[in-house]
Amino acid sequence: MAVLPPGLTQQAFDQAIAEFRAAIGEEWVFTSDADRASYLDPFDMGDQDDHASAAALAPSGVEDCRKILEIANRHKVPLWPISMGKNLAYGTAAPEMRGSVILDLKRMNRVIEVNEELGTAIVEPGVSFFDFKAELERRGSGLWMSGPAHSWGSVIGNALEHGVGYTPYGQHVETICGMEVLLADGSLVRTGLGALEGTKEWQAFRWPFGPGLDGMFTQSNFGIVTKMGLWLMPEPEGMAGVSIRVPAREDFHALIETLRPLRMTDVINAPYTIANGWRQITGGRVRSEVWDQPGAISRERMEELLAERGQGWWSVIFNLFDSPAALDLRLDKIRRAFAEKLPGATIDVQRWEQGQPQESWMRQEVSLAPLGVVDWGGNPGGHSDFGPIVAPLGDRAEEVYSIIEQRFLEYGKDPWIGMFGISSRALIFVADMFFTRTDAEETERCRRLFRQLCDDMADIGVGLYRTHLRFMDDAAAMHRWGDHALPRLNNRIKAALDPNGILAPGKQGIGSWEDGE
Amino acid sequence: MRLKLIAAALPLVALAPVAVQSAGQPSRSPEEIYTTRCAYCHEAGGWGTRALAKRVPAGEAELRNRSSLPPAYTIAVVRRGIGAMPQFTPTELTDAELEALANWLDRGNR
Repeated sequence: MAVLPPGLTQQAFDQAIAEFRAAIGEEWVFTSDADRASYLDPFDMGDQDDHASAAALAPSGVEDCRKILEIANRHKVPLWPISMGKNLAYGTAAPEMRGSVILDLKRMNRVIEVNEELGTAIVEPGVSFFDFKAELERRGSGLWMSGPAHSWGSVIGNALEHGVGYTPYGQHVETICGMEVLLADGSLVRTGLGALEGTKEWQAFRWPFGPGLDGMFTQSNFGIVTKMGLWLMPEPEGMAGVSIRVPAREDFHALIETLRPLRMTDVINAPYTIANGWRQITGGRVRSEVWDQPGAISRERMEELLAERGQGWWSVIFNLFDSPAALDLRLDKIRRAFAEKLPGATIDVQRWEQGQPQESWMRQEVSLAPLGVVDWGGNPGGHSDFGPIVAPLGDRAEEVYSIIEQRFLEYGKDPWIGMFGISSRALIFVADMFFTRTDAEETERCRRLFRQLCDDMADIGVGLYRTHLRFMDDAAAMHRWGDHALPRLNNRIKAALDPNGILAPGKQGIGSWEDGE
Repeated sequence: MRLKLIAAALPLVALAPVAVQSAGQPSRSPEEIYTTRCAYCHEAGGWGTRALAKRVPAGEAELRNRSSLPPAYTIAVVRRGIGAMPQFTPTELTDAELEALANWLDRGNR
């Protein structure tokens, strides 16, 4: 059965498709079942068809996008812009609203500029981390890319979705400096200093005369980002890879209190990752090899498995970036801090200096490694995660962690929890739910768990950094202060910029959170 | 390993836009597509090879070592995904490129 945009008849949609074909070329309008299926979310926590698209369009550039917008506005066709469409675990390429038409920007794939002196670049949406890394190497660049855990995604898409990496530039949204944005009415805007004709400072400084607007085009549906400036890190003189084992569950409070001042003072100058016990027992095996009982893997069994591998209840890893002599000073401060507050911790260090071959712990190579864990719980596997933003204070982190761990166990899910110290003053929790995609009971239980946790977190004033498509409205509705004043403002901005609501309806719940799923 | 750079020889700013990929264009050979899009997971040591090692006869986990890999099967898997492998859209490789890739893999395995 054909999938149509809500409110459109087959005849009206056929007319719109005919106009899209005339505008951008027949070969770049995809309507077959096979082509549309390639835009489904393979890891959806439920029926993929809930987020099926009606068609996909692949423009070659801004002018094609403008033609598409004009037609879409006239026919009220909702568009769902994607870059690489690899937002795995959060919806991949699929639209939030069933029947949307995918606006696939992958053909817009130029690295427009790399400025070695300023350490900046300008890229288009279709540039993946694989592509960008290859291009920097082709140019013999002295700048390093900060990539996320898997490299398939888009440099622009990941930054716009607030993705993270593992270098001092690892909070990717903060590396954004200047955008070119196409609004729903077809007008093209350059943010920041890009608004000045002949500017040489577009990528040099984020704050123009007047408001800085880059942020409003991240995790939003206010426009289509067609170009993005970003900052790149000069190759460091050296690196140290630090791996810390912390023995007991009860050490968590002290661990957070030890890490926070080190990160705030920039002694730890890149994001750190904390993994709990359940998160450490997966490597190299599948769940059925270690647990054959109903419900979550018990804490006792998990601790047995940790002991077999000689791992602590908590694992912390991070990399330091500096000259070799300065790395010695950083490491000395870290060792002294742990000796004082967590003397039971074990610290291992690896080192690298400029000119030496790179090693895997440096995480500078492109990777698809996270896909390897998808089948942990069963085949065909799926996964998504619950990602609250938490202040790195011992009491607060313990409060949030305890709620999440307890709820996962209550719902029969392994509490597979990581925490990312992405900035000096924030932890992002990533509590992964792995499920067998074909198991309707399990996926339904995961959805209930997710919404239970949304309620739990909203009750203590904690929000999410990102969600799967299925929970966009739930996550938006958590922002209750002032009678949902912020989500209401988002709705007003949306109505002003996109009165027909054609751009990414449902994205981040903007324009839809009051209705719910 | 990264290429070593020679700073003095670097152009400071590349003024001309450079196309890093030609997504959707039929100019790429099957070898090029395999190398840039498939090999990372499907050569020795890749996670795809490790996953397939549990499901296929010994010695056949690497795609290029298969005794049989019908093109129709490759095409279906690439467009629909399988197991933990997500699917590829027609803007990542066109139907013509996918068919050429599937035939090339099949020929190489005979």
